[in-house]
Amino acid sequence: MEVVQIIGVGLIAIVIIMVLKQNKPEFVIYVELIAGVIILSMCFDKITAVINFVYELSSKIQLSNKFVGIMLKITGIAILAEFATSICKDAGESAIASKIEIGSKVLIVTTSIPIISSLLEIILKVLP
Amino acid sequence: MDVDLLFKIAAIGILVAVLHQVLVRAGREDQAMMTTLAGIIIVLTIIIKEISTLFSTVRSLFNL
Repeated sequence: MEVVQIIGVGLIAIVIIMVLKQNKPEFVIYVELIAGVIILSMCFDKITAVINFVYELSSKIQLSNKFVGIMLKITGIAILAEFATSICKDAGESAIASKIEIGSKVLIVTTSIPIISSLLEIILKVLP
Repeated sequence: MDVDLLFKIAAIGILVAVLHQVLVRAGREDQAMMTTLAGIIIVLTIIIKEISTLFSTVRSLFNL
């Protein structure tokens, strides 16, 4: 039933934006920000459930927690970066949006360096 | 953290718009600018508080 709430918040925000667009266009960006924050925070309890499930799975398979932590960190960076870039694109500032994308990609690559190095070690071990 | 935040900001926006028009009609453009700025500042404080809570929850969730 949560999807109905999310859709409701989105539609209410659109209606408010239509009202505000004629005489006060600068308030549109604030309504968009607040709608995004509300919708994101609505689905956070589901995200915590998924994260706990992932940790349980990783402890069963003896996968080292380091990799799971890095993967979660990357998803967190991706969520926040996507939130910011979509808001910037809506406001018409696609240049800033692309800068945020580049920065988040650099952060993701740097956080995933340990995984890449361990992968290379495994490959070198396998090769004769 | 639910829909009434959205309505609060919409109400402030409409109020500022109406006040702006009234003051401009009454010939006081500077006060109209003041009320618009005041409205924007109020909305900004609300939004910054909400965004900081969002960022802190995401940071604690994904241990960024």
